[in-house]
Amino acid sequence: MASAAVFEQLQLKLDEDSQIREDIRNVVQTLERQARSAESILTRFHSIPQANIGPTLTEAWEAIQAQRETLAQLNQLASKHPYYKYNQMWSRRMESVSFHLVFYGFLCSHVEGFDGPQGMLYTIEEVSDILAVPFNLKDQDAFHLTIEEYLLSLILLIDELARLAINSVTLGDYQVPLRISQFVKDLHAGFQVLNLKNDILRKRSDSIKYSVKKIEEVVYDLSLRNLIP
Amino acid sequence: MTDHKHSPAKDEASAPPASPFMSMFETFRSELDEHHDRRERIIKASRDITALSKKMIFSLQRVRTLSTPLPPSVTKENNSRQSQITDLFKSIVPDLQVINAWRYQRQISPSIQEYIEAISFQHYLSNQTLITFTEAQHQLPPGISLTEDDYLLGLFDLVGELMRFAITSMATHGTLPRGPKPSKQDDGGQEEGNDILTDLRSLRSGFEGLDTTSSGKDWTPLKRDVGKKMEVMRSCVEKVEGAMYGMIVRGRERPKGWVPDLGGGEGREVESY
Repeated sequence: MASAAVFEQLQLKLDEDSQIREDIRNVVQTLERQARSAESILTRFHSIPQANIGPTLTEAWEAIQAQRETLAQLNQLASKHPYYKYNQMWSRRMESVSFHLVFYGFLCSHVEGFDGPQGMLYTIEEVSDILAVPFNLKDQDAFHLTIEEYLLSLILLIDELARLAINSVTLGDYQVPLRISQFVKDLHAGFQVLNLKNDILRKRSDSIKYSVKKIEEVVYDLSLRNLIP
Repeated sequence: MTDHKHSPAKDEASAPPASPFMSMFETFRSELDEHHDRRERIIKASRDITALSKKMIFSLQRVRTLSTPLPPSVTKENNSRQSQITDLFKSIVPDLQVINAWRYQRQISPSIQEYIEAISFQHYLSNQTLITFTEAQHQLPPGISLTEDDYLLGLFDLVGELMRFAITSMATHGTLPRGPKPSKQDDGGQEEGNDILTDLRSLRSGFEGLDTTSSGKDWTPLKRDVGKKMEVMRSCVEKVEGAMYGMIVRGRERPKGWVPDLGGGEGREVESY
């Protein structure tokens, strides 16, 4: 049975695939490195009083911009291939850069002199716009930010804000937990309208209720002691 | 882009009672529902296709000859199953377009592999050749794309079917299935066609030569499956070799209807995941 040609053909395709993966992996590794340095900046917000976050916000913005540039490369590379064939290679990165941005946005809205609503949330459109990456593509097979990735980034945000609520009390800032509380309640209400199936969103969204509880306890502790109006 | 730096969100909501994010989440809900519905439809079709493909394989296992037209009863049964399978595939074509072609790969893959196993077995029994990728793709309706991965994994499973076919034939006829003498071209002056063990070994050699690990440490669905299936494939070929040995050594003492012990390690369970 002449099967050599069949296997040769298969090997060609396998090699092609592993070359594509290697190219993507190179860009994703750059993104990972940039994400780590962004995380290290963002985590400093837990130890800076609200009044002084300005300069660190600028640094965070730059760290996001760096990722944006790498995303442009990834976009160019990934859009040549079926999106869902390789998307698991970068899905975590999209989730994390989106988290960096929504956390940044939330913090911005509490800076003195900010003229928008407090507890600002960058919508998926805004995240997509700032990162210069399309979102939720349906009729075109190209690189984009998925709804799942954005929602997962909101779950990361909620976890992060539960931590920030506690740490801002330590810094003597009693207003921040109140703002966080309202914001997270609103997000929680949003998640409750989703019909989650047994998938990653379902599993990860389980943590939201613990974060909500944690934040409520902070607010309770503060009001019990008359530390907030 | 810097104008985003301290720009307000477009959220007009400041009314406290309802969540200002509600309309956004409602959009997400309908998008996610759409996705889940598609996924469900694909899983359902996929299960039915797998079941029908398995039935095709059962029928084919009743065939006793190699490289001859299939018995009319088998052809009739399998043609009807194949047209049902085609209809099932067609029913989910709209769900697998453009960006969604790869999105539901994990849901559709098992059925495509099972179907490839069935049609490659049928193709082998009738022609004693390996179905090519292009031939296999043509057996799927337009709009359903065959991936190299599914094709390859389906071929791994073909080895298991060939093993069963060979063993059954040895148990009932006392010989290894062998194709007829190649009549069209008289090259090589062969007395008769190749036996199935020769073909199995040639397949094994092809599989062994494949390099599926070159994509580094990255997890790929293919790698996970190839590892398991490679083991099963090897043991299948060795079972036929062992049975062949038994037939030569103890052939004449063999009671009628003797079947070699296939053991528990047949590994059929890895076929679908």
